[in-house]
Amino acid sequence: MRAAIKEYNYDWLMGSTLSAAAKFPAGTAKEIAWAYRYIPYFKGIVKNFVDAGPPGIYFMDLLAGYYQNILDAHAQGKKIAATTFCSSPVIFYAMDIVPLTFEVLTAIGAMVWKRGMFDYMDYCCEVGMPETACSSQRGALGAYLADMGENIDIVLCDTPGVCDTNANAFVFAAEYLDKPFFQLNYPSTLGDSRSQAYHVKDFQAMIRFLEEQTGKKIDYDRLAENLKEVEAQDAITADLEDMLMMVPTPIPPIYTLMIYAGRFCFAGHPGYTRLLELLRDEAQKRMAAGVPALKAGAENLRVLMCYIDHYTVDINFYNYLEERGIANAGSILTRNFRDYNPYCQALEGSCYGVDLSSPEAMLDTVAQMNARLPMVRSIRGPYDQHGMWLDECLALARLYSVDCIIYNGTPGCRNTWGMVKPFARDIEKQGIPVHIMNDDAFDDRVESWEATRERLDEFFTVRGLL
Amino acid sequence: MQLFHDVANQIKCQPLIDWKALNRPVVGYTCSQVPAEIFHAAGILPIRMRGIETDGMDIGDAYYGPFICSFPKCLLQLVGKGAYKFIDGAVITPGCDAMRRLDECWRKAGEDYDGIIPGFFYYFDVPHKAEGHGMEWFVEEIEYLIAEIEDYFKVTITDENLRAAILEYNKGRRLLSEIESMRTSETPVVSGSDMFAATIAGTVMPRAQYNEELTQWMASLSQSPPMENVRKRIMLIGSITDDPDLIRLIETDTDAMVVAENLCFGVRSEGRPVDEDADPISALAEHYLGESTCPRMYGRYKQRLAVLKEKIEQSHVDGVIMQNIRFCDLHGAENALFEKDLEAEGIPCLRLEREYGPMIDKGRLKLRINAFLERLGRGRKYASSN
Repeated sequence: MRAAIKEYNYDWLMGSTLSAAAKFPAGTAKEIAWAYRYIPYFKGIVKNFVDAGPPGIYFMDLLAGYYQNILDAHAQGKKIAATTFCSSPVIFYAMDIVPLTFEVLTAIGAMVWKRGMFDYMDYCCEVGMPETACSSQRGALGAYLADMGENIDIVLCDTPGVCDTNANAFVFAAEYLDKPFFQLNYPSTLGDSRSQAYHVKDFQAMIRFLEEQTGKKIDYDRLAENLKEVEAQDAITADLEDMLMMVPTPIPPIYTLMIYAGRFCFAGHPGYTRLLELLRDEAQKRMAAGVPALKAGAENLRVLMCYIDHYTVDINFYNYLEERGIANAGSILTRNFRDYNPYCQALEGSCYGVDLSSPEAMLDTVAQMNARLPMVRSIRGPYDQHGMWLDECLALARLYSVDCIIYNGTPGCRNTWGMVKPFARDIEKQGIPVHIMNDDAFDDRVESWEATRERLDEFFTVRGLL
Repeated sequence: MQLFHDVANQIKCQPLIDWKALNRPVVGYTCSQVPAEIFHAAGILPIRMRGIETDGMDIGDAYYGPFICSFPKCLLQLVGKGAYKFIDGAVITPGCDAMRRLDECWRKAGEDYDGIIPGFFYYFDVPHKAEGHGMEWFVEEIEYLIAEIEDYFKVTITDENLRAAILEYNKGRRLLSEIESMRTSETPVVSGSDMFAATIAGTVMPRAQYNEELTQWMASLSQSPPMENVRKRIMLIGSITDDPDLIRLIETDTDAMVVAENLCFGVRSEGRPVDEDADPISALAEHYLGESTCPRMYGRYKQRLAVLKEKIEQSHVDGVIMQNIRFCDLHGAENALFEKDLEAEGIPCLRLEREYGPMIDKGRLKLRINAFLERLGRGRKYASSN
């Protein structure tokens, strides 16, 4: 890794960058215009979030706070847990542990930096991780392996509902940094009493592990408060989901990113509730005023991303959707599988409810919530098993009236690359066109954005969609 | 010994042909965490599925995506070509992501290629943790598997059958352990490639026949002179391999010998006996899950490192060759950790990335292996001076 990069604490660098960006709108129009000239490589993303209005600005501030929490953790006597987006932070906040989610941090870095997270990704390979390991962890992880970020205290991940490469990155981090490690383990089925019971036992083991590591017992009153916050968040998310079903939708493509990134970072935290309120209020205003969500004006097409979105430099992907008038019905990351959501009615046995009646009930709630996080929920077993990836995508495609389904991931997504071809074929048999993107959602060097864009255009043209 | 090599190098080997000629069932399985004793107890021949003899990848590539290890692709290729049409059943496990997706890819290929899906097609859900509820889950999985076998093959698997199967398998394990000690001794009498062929054969041959062959081989080995020109003692570890040629590559035209390995098809899985006194299902669960040293068992790195170190010490290993098949991140990443920790203790290591299947990159591998052996020659630790 270049010496110049090692000069900066990674958490401070990213947090400061986002914090400064969130202050942009405080200036006059002239000041903002001038300021943009000084950040030519960061301008794209700042402008996008500023243009998204209050939720976009608040989102940047919220993420800056995420980094600040990491920076302040040890001074406040808190432990930092490196974890995955497939693990709800609710439990961490209830135990005064600061979550540090590799995938979210990598996505932020990939969007914000001109060079993306390349230097950090490559550092992981320098110290031995295979280059075929998933870039979503390899990005931010590189900073911590290079001792450029805050000291991680605990490593906690999910297996094997998520892919091997995900779990493997956390195992590598734990061993390389010599930190205590815990894995949440998932069977290949969901919704049956046997796997439900397994989740709860596994979750209880995780609580014991965290209590041992922190020396503190879980505070159930605090957990109850956090879960009440989750209740509020789920209710607002349900409103947003309803609006996402409307044609044309008042939800711009980038809202889905904010919905899930916020949840991965701040589920159960009041800051995320505020973000969701802003997103809902803006969408409702737009709806009332008859203003289209898409900058292109008309909604020409609706797509469902059946896996993840594309995050590299300047959020090009979201801009592309805006320019072409394509509504984004979300991805595997967007949905929360709360029991009253419409898609849960179409996917029997998929949902969870919130029960605050006792400590056991609350733990059961969080365990079941965790069991329905992205990847953990829908790609844990054979994709064509009841309620898994195929069922889910077909249900969502119908519910959101999408015109096509697009797969995007990283070469490290061993789990989905192992089945995506037959999966796509099964979806096509239902009359829904499918495009498999061959890029890396976090690394433009695998396929340039320009090439990715050409292939998307080609798909939409050849299939007569645009 | 020749029989072991014949079996190791052919999918449809003579013992299998003889078994099928008696109209007896065969079930293929894909992972070392499947308790073969269960099938033996039911009068079924369990065979570990291999991807050898693959001469193309058109079917493997049609169903799997591009970023997938070549081992399951080779299996699927052979399945699609009908090379496994003789099996009556298949058991798929989530050994790793690529292997667990063989379930869907095989079934979907079955929509395009007639008769490639056996009547008994079973997903065996092996957890990634062995303690507490993980072990309970695995015990239940074994019970479900037994029930399904009984139902489909119209057989009864009793505790007595299972105990007898455990005894039969343990007999082979003990023989292998004894032969292994002849390889790891300071004056080995058996080569690494012969030893590996023998362990592979154990995953395919009917157990009684296998034990008989092992007994005869051991008797002949006890009369054999020590191997000549063994100056560099190598340990081979890493991704799945069922090809004695990979070991032969290290041993041919060099003064090196693979005196130890930690491979999925090797003595790692075959060398330890199952508890004969405990409840048979619990004993099998403890053996196949509790003692697993596969990196899919997350969080057990230090345990695996300790196993390696012990073996390095016992076998007087001079250097460790670590290989991983491209896209096998479990072994790829763990090899890096092993390399860091072993090199820190003065044990030379070589990391290789390769493809599974015919030794297409033999020249490249040989070049790197020879360079590594040269490095060992400059400062070897244990090698004898014969």
